[in-house]
Amino acid sequence: MRHLRIFFRVIIETGIGVKRSGWSNWLVVSILAIALTIFGGILQLTMTMKNVVSEFGSQLQVSAYLKDGFQPKRVAREISQIPEVQLVEIVTKDVAWDEMKSTFKVASLANPLPNTLHIKASNPEAVEAVAAKVKLLGAVENIRYPLKVARKINELRHFLELAGFVITAALSAATLTVIGNTIHLLIESRQREIEILSLMGVSPFYIKGPFVLQGAAYGAGSAAVAILILGLVHVYLDPYLTDQLVSLAPFLPRNMEYGMWQTFGVMLGLGILVGAGGSAWTSGRYIKV
Amino acid sequence: MIRLQNVTKDYGGRPALINVNLHIALGEFAFLVGPSGAGKSTLMRLLYREETPTSGSVFVGGVNLNRLHKRQVPLLRRRLGTIFQDYKLLPRQTVFNNVAYILRALGVDEKEIAKRVQSALSVVSLEHKADAYPDELSGGEQQRVGIARAIVNGPPVLLADEPTGNLDPATSLEIVQLLERIAERGTTVLISTHDTTIVNALRRRVIYLKGGEIVSDVDSGVYELEPNLNV
Repeated sequence: MRHLRIFFRVIIETGIGVKRSGWSNWLVVSILAIALTIFGGILQLTMTMKNVVSEFGSQLQVSAYLKDGFQPKRVAREISQIPEVQLVEIVTKDVAWDEMKSTFKVASLANPLPNTLHIKASNPEAVEAVAAKVKLLGAVENIRYPLKVARKINELRHFLELAGFVITAALSAATLTVIGNTIHLLIESRQREIEILSLMGVSPFYIKGPFVLQGAAYGAGSAAVAILILGLVHVYLDPYLTDQLVSLAPFLPRNMEYGMWQTFGVMLGLGILVGAGGSAWTSGRYIKV
Repeated sequence: MIRLQNVTKDYGGRPALINVNLHIALGEFAFLVGPSGAGKSTLMRLLYREETPTSGSVFVGGVNLNRLHKRQVPLLRRRLGTIFQDYKLLPRQTVFNNVAYILRALGVDEKEIAKRVQSALSVVSLEHKADAYPDELSGGEQQRVGIARAIVNGPPVLLADEPTGNLDPATSLEIVQLLERIAERGTTVLISTHDTTIVNALRRRVIYLKGGEIVSDVDSGVYELEPNLNV
């Protein structure tokens, strides 16, 4: 009960601290909200692009042409044992020949086509590995897959992952600096008060706690504003942008809105974490109790 | 209650205290006197662990402060009531809240806080000023708030570092008489001062520091500018 009362008092002290900060609250929240909006926007963009690229990449498949005399079902079973393989589709030589005949006008001759297996890998990165393993099988005469496309897609995915990480790190550092400086100014303005509290025997938790919570509150408030902005963009701007993009590139999926809730969750978490972390670091450095 | 054993405090070659030995018993009332720079404030700061000695040992309530971990310092300070020359009141808090602050930080419930704060304010006769802010009070009243804050948690030791330094002679006398009354209730009180009037008016134990050394320690003493050595 006593600890609960202390925690409750720390929250009240946080409220008093926020109230005393006056206009600087708005300044900090505005700056952080801008940083988090940029972060959220870029994060959502990279996640969407990554997913589009992955979806596109998942369409890639390895075609294996079998030697005569091998049962396609047996070979398909063998290939499906490869861990990276997601799906194996059998196109028998008869089916392929019938399809060809229905599409093209071909002379009446013996079926020259081989039995074919279309193999889908579990992710675009695995396509090359699957192709290499399939090629080694004795039943396989030849294989074909879009090697360059697979490699480009993987490069693009890696680039997007790296870009997302770099942007997150840069914006986190910027946010930390803004919060750290604000809390530092608050500490400076209350240095005498802190000294008095320390001489009275008030615990470091009670002295530093309100500053840490104030930083966390800044982070949460800024994230809420940033989420609201991105939410409005999502509702009012996304349908228009999707129409434009799909009309330019019809192969893109219509539902490109990936990871919106994840993005909002990350924004809120990052805001609170960076806010509390920045304040805790600054309090530890500048409050000597 | 307070014991210093061969305590020396040195600030980079400039000694503030030299081989000080001192014992103040439970419930005792004593003045620590001496000219500016004699080492009074340094000695007080050692007692509330704002400083640590260069050599020697400092004990308060049987606890060796040299061995006190940093995180235990707040616990020590809660057992000491400390009064300062500049009062050190929280300017944006009312008198009531200034006195109540430490109790709230300790998680005491509000009913108990109200009772204890009223009691402390009644000791210093400031119940009627509970809702005032420090800048609405006279210097003497502010110091009385400082005393109320120091005693609200019932500490066994009260340290007053030049408590009358900013006050006129009549108010100064009121303040030390108030501290004397608190000591009568069993609290150990140590007052550092260079105010001869208040020391001579009370005729209590006088510890004379000069150049960082105790040159005189007399029961029922007076504050003379050049005391006879009587340690």
